[in-house]
Amino acid sequence: SKAAGKLTTGLTGLAVNSTPHISLTALYDRTLKLLARMPADAKYRQSTEAIVKERLAAVNSEPDISRLEKRINCGQIEEVVQQAERELQLARSFLSWKPWEPLIGQAPPNQWKWPL
Amino acid sequence: MINLKHILKLRSLPGATSCTSAFLKETLTAPACSRINASMISGFPTPMRRELCTEKKMPTVRYSDPAIREPLKAFGKYAGECLPKYIQSADVTIFDELEILIHPEGVLPVLSFLKDHHAGQFVNLSDICCVDVPSRQFRFEVVYNLLSLRYNCRARVKTYTDELTPLESCCSVFQAANWYEREVWDMFGVYFTNHPDLRRILTDYGFQGHPFRKDFPLVGYNEYRYDDEQKRVVIEPVELAQDFRKFEYSTPWEVFPNYRDADKNMRKEGGGDEK
Repeated sequence: SKAAGKLTTGLTGLAVNSTPHISLTALYDRTLKLLARMPADAKYRQSTEAIVKERLAAVNSEPDISRLEKRINCGQIEEVVQQAERELQLARSFLSWKPWEPLIGQAPPNQWKWPL
Repeated sequence: MINLKHILKLRSLPGATSCTSAFLKETLTAPACSRINASMISGFPTPMRRELCTEKKMPTVRYSDPAIREPLKAFGKYAGECLPKYIQSADVTIFDELEILIHPEGVLPVLSFLKDHHAGQFVNLSDICCVDVPSRQFRFEVVYNLLSLRYNCRARVKTYTDELTPLESCCSVFQAANWYEREVWDMFGVYFTNHPDLRRILTDYGFQGHPFRKDFPLVGYNEYRYDDEQKRVVIEPVELAQDFRKFEYSTPWEVFPNYRDADKNMRKEGGGDEK
C-alpha cells in the first residue's frame, strides 16, 4: 500500500508504482524473449542481456524497494521501470531494423571532411 | 571488448569521475600543490579540474580531460558495435564532444538506440540543425544534438542529404523534433517524411526560397515596404541604397599553420575571407 511505501516520486507525470517487482520481472522477461530472437553474436543482444539479467537478479533477490533502488543505482524504481519499458520497445524495433548487419553504405569520399 | 559495467559505473555516479580518486592521491603527494579542495574536507567527491594542479606545458591551449574523453570514446565504440549497419564512424572531437556519423537510412534506429538503451538514455533532444556545404555531393549535413540527463553526457548524431532526398522524421522518437524539423525544412529545404505537420515556421507566408542555403543572397530577393498610395505593405525586388561591400580581412601573417592546405583549397574555390 502507499502508506508503507513512498507517497510520490517527485517527478511530474510519473506515478508511484506499488508493485515494481511485478512490473520489472514482466518487462525483463519479455525483453529477454525478444533478445533471444536476435543473432547470438550481435553486440546489442549480448550487452542488453547482461544488463537485463543483472537487473532481474537484483529484482528477484531484493524485496525491499528502497534497497533495490540503491542497488540498481539508476534513479527511482519508477524510473527503472521506464527504462525497462524503453528497452523493450527498442528491442522490438531492432528485430525489424536488424542493425547488427554490416554497413549499408559508406559516405562519399569527402563528405565528412572539415575544414574543406 | 567494451566492459559495460565500466561504462555504466563511470557514468552512473553524478559528479564523481574515475579521475577524482586518482586526483586526490595526486594532491596529497604532490608537493607543488598546496590547495585544499572541498572533497578533502567533506569527503564527498566533487568534480575538480585537474589542470589547476598539474604543470601546464601549454597554458594557452584548452585542457582536454581524459576522464571526459575516455568514457565518450568507449560509448562511441560501443554504439558502433551495436549498430554497425548505420554508424559510419563515432569520434570524440578536439573539444571532448562525441560525434556519431551515420548513414541517412539510420536516423530512426540510431536515435531510438541512444534514447531507449540503458547505457545511453539520451532522452533530451537539444537541437536539430543543418549545415549547407554546397561543394559536397550531399550538401546538407543534418545534426542532432542529444543530452543524457541520467549520465550528464552529450552526443551528436550527423547525417547527410541533398536537396531532393528526404530524411525520416524523428518525431516518433522525440516530440521536440517537430519544430526543429520544420525549421530545417523552411530554412534549408530538407524534407522529412512521416512528419506530422511539415510547413514553414520562420519565413513569411508565400515566401519562396530557403534562406539559410549558401546560394541564397544575404539581403534576399524581395524587400517589403509600406506604400502610402496603396496603404499597405508591398513586395518589390530588393534595391540597396549602397553597393554590397565585401571586406577582405586577410593578414600577411599565417594564423593557423595546421590548416595551411585548407587555406589553399578555399582560395582555389574562390572562397571568401579567412578569419
